[in-house]
Amino acid sequence: MAHAMLGWVLRFLEFIIREAVNPGSIKENMKKTSRIIAGLMAVCFSGMATAEPLKVGYSDWPGWVAWEIAIKKGWFKEAGVEVEFVWMDYLASMEAYGAGKLDAVCMTNGDALVTGATAKPSVAILINDYSNGNDMLVAGKDIADVKALKGKKVALEEGFVPHLLTLKALESNGMKESDIEIVNTPTSETPQVLKTGDVAAICAWQPNSGAALKEVPGSKAIFSSKDAPGLIYDCLAVTPESLESKKADWVKIATVWYKIVDYLKDEGNQEEALEILAARVKVKPDEYEPFLEGTYILTLEEAGKVWEKADGLESIYGSTKVSDGFNVKYKVYEKPLDIDTYLDPSITMGLMAE
Amino acid sequence: MRRLFYLTKAVSGKIDSGWFRVGVPLSEARSTFLMVISFLLPLLLWCFAAYAPFLWKVDYRINLTAVAEDKELFAATYVAGDTMEAGRFRKFQKSIREDNNRLEKSGTSGISETKSPRVARAANKKLLRDFEPVLVKNGLFDQRLKQRLGTKDYYQQLYSTAYETWGKLSRGDLKLKPGSLTRENLEIIGRNYKLMAEISSYYDSNNLFSKPIYKLIPEGTKQVGRPSYLPAPHEVVEKGWENFSGSSELGNLELWRKYGESLRIVFFGFFMACVFGVPIALMAGTFPFFSRLVEPFADFFRYMPAPAFSTVLIAVFGLAESPKIALVVIGTLPHLILMVANTTRMVDSSLIDAGQTLGAKGGNLIRKVVIPAVLPNLYNDLRILLGWAWTWLVIAELIGMKSGLTEIIDTQGRRFHFDHVYPVIFLIGITGFVTDQMLAGFREILFPWTSGGKVGVVAKVFILPGRIAKWLVSGRIEPGGKKELVS
Repeated sequence: MAHAMLGWVLRFLEFIIREAVNPGSIKENMKKTSRIIAGLMAVCFSGMATAEPLKVGYSDWPGWVAWEIAIKKGWFKEAGVEVEFVWMDYLASMEAYGAGKLDAVCMTNGDALVTGATAKPSVAILINDYSNGNDMLVAGKDIADVKALKGKKVALEEGFVPHLLTLKALESNGMKESDIEIVNTPTSETPQVLKTGDVAAICAWQPNSGAALKEVPGSKAIFSSKDAPGLIYDCLAVTPESLESKKADWVKIATVWYKIVDYLKDEGNQEEALEILAARVKVKPDEYEPFLEGTYILTLEEAGKVWEKADGLESIYGSTKVSDGFNVKYKVYEKPLDIDTYLDPSITMGLMAE
Repeated sequence: MRRLFYLTKAVSGKIDSGWFRVGVPLSEARSTFLMVISFLLPLLLWCFAAYAPFLWKVDYRINLTAVAEDKELFAATYVAGDTMEAGRFRKFQKSIREDNNRLEKSGTSGISETKSPRVARAANKKLLRDFEPVLVKNGLFDQRLKQRLGTKDYYQQLYSTAYETWGKLSRGDLKLKPGSLTRENLEIIGRNYKLMAEISSYYDSNNLFSKPIYKLIPEGTKQVGRPSYLPAPHEVVEKGWENFSGSSELGNLELWRKYGESLRIVFFGFFMACVFGVPIALMAGTFPFFSRLVEPFADFFRYMPAPAFSTVLIAVFGLAESPKIALVVIGTLPHLILMVANTTRMVDSSLIDAGQTLGAKGGNLIRKVVIPAVLPNLYNDLRILLGWAWTWLVIAELIGMKSGLTEIIDTQGRRFHFDHVYPVIFLIGITGFVTDQMLAGFREILFPWTSGGKVGVVAKVFILPGRIAKWLVSGRIEPGGKKELVS
């Protein structure tokens, strides 16, 4: 589509300039002019015409920011795979995935279901981490606990992971969704919203929740993913088509991921890792340090355990089932989904067998 | 009539010195003076708001930071350079003292192994890292080393310098500059070093004390507690300088590359809008047929906000620059068509009549009569429309994959780093202003008969090089200044 339009634009441009420059000598100037225009277009649309590498959307969740290490160190090239990581807002990345502009996107197991039900299904091939406190319900000064939120406004991204966590927080305090008033807000804008004082609490992940905690005096986390470990797994979700046609490339990408994990687990890399990660989300390295604790990055062995089928939250199957239940109960979508088509442990299992 | 009025006033001797004359241009010196004032006034207002101490409460700017165990009260991580309200800062200090007391008690009762060795080592390294501002202030450590050494070596260097300094301080071999460390902290350092020196007397990453040590009590300096959206001018200049020279505290922001991206989107979007819009507008301005065919829809289309199409544009053009350029185009195009068509209609009809009398028609008429006649005003229209293109830039860069200068504005704004945001906004403003003045200057050279020599001071800067360029191209210099040559 874009290419066809480009062609039209090019032809039109050529016509105009030819006419304007030298109406008399169209033929002589044709070659020259079109070459100039082609060059101009090439500069402006650079990258569009070349062979497309795999495109992966990633956003500011610490577990996904970790990809930055491989990007900065050129490990994908070393592994022989052409992949372009596109830095976006979380919601925008899922939208772009839904619009078919990405081959894969980093999302949570629950949001993969939502995106699948509303836009485009996906297959999780890799579990990066589980949220261990970085997703938080941050309340303003006057709110002491979750129960105090009754009848108050909470700003969060409706239908996605903060919504899920908030529902979980309400349930574990014996409350219902109707007890609070949800204000639909992009996660990255929640700190500003909390600061205005128009809402009693926000639900966001780091570094957004951290910005709110720092900037809003007296704010505190009243519930976090640490209170519900395994509720949120963070994954790499690939289009079923790309997984089928380019499986070898995805295996290479998964291999690179476990190289990143090894790197992060090595104490000696701490400072360098913090610099790279902090620079991506534009905070200071020391501010980034606690995020590593709030996101539990899974080693290959640990991920293998999570991939085992079970009902509890310690398995991604159980966790996804819980998300599915929530989503149906709160009408994010209508019918339960076939979870098994969203999860594919084969690549991780393959790496473990090596 | 008015002339007569001023004449009589002038005769009575009241008018010459007047600044507030209705409808009479000011002298050149005066307009230049007022131009400078118009920039100075907002700047002074800003300085006043930012520096006036009585407007704001007192804050502490943290010089030496620590991590409090009490996550309920101090959930965020505070780094050197952050500010805290005075009351809260004292609570912060108190909280750290309590942490130290707890450690002391648990140490004597023999349960100091509450943390894993790795966590404790990381915390101890953080303590050494947090000592950096003190080292820098005393000239014991140079932060610019980062550019020469790799990240790992840099921190290695930092840790060993801090370790060594702690050793010297505990032995009393070194005196720090007054005001850089409290007696309380000096004592804590002594106790810490005693613990650490049992393992090693120098910094050794493989052999670092792996139990918790005492935290240094946060120190800070009093300052005017401005809200984060109102950084002081000197802070903005400082951060701007750091960011643009690539030595920002937030890593390399790649400002110049992003500036290039932004420029490309504006100018290419504007260029495309011209390529499509100007021919259509010329036709519409010349032939009533095209006018009725095009303008009603353009009039309707311009009321539909361009950003409303952003998701459509992503679906069509993908994620890179093309949807952003397309947004600038659809934001600018309808205005361009209407404005230029209108300008074209204003062409002196006697010129067209004369042309037709001499046998010109169709394309020939447009090329030989309409275009030359409309060119100076067209140039002016496009100059104004380029300003429109700039207004779409920020929205265009936010759609899909964030890019360009807007990415910095957006991300830093969300982190409340407004001292990083303002320099970028100013850069956009300056770029727009300078381009506009530059084009105004060129207008004076390209169409010297139109302006009568009335151009702004900044624009004048561009006139001379423009003349030289024109001379190089055409081999002759246009006479400058006021013209009465073309009737």
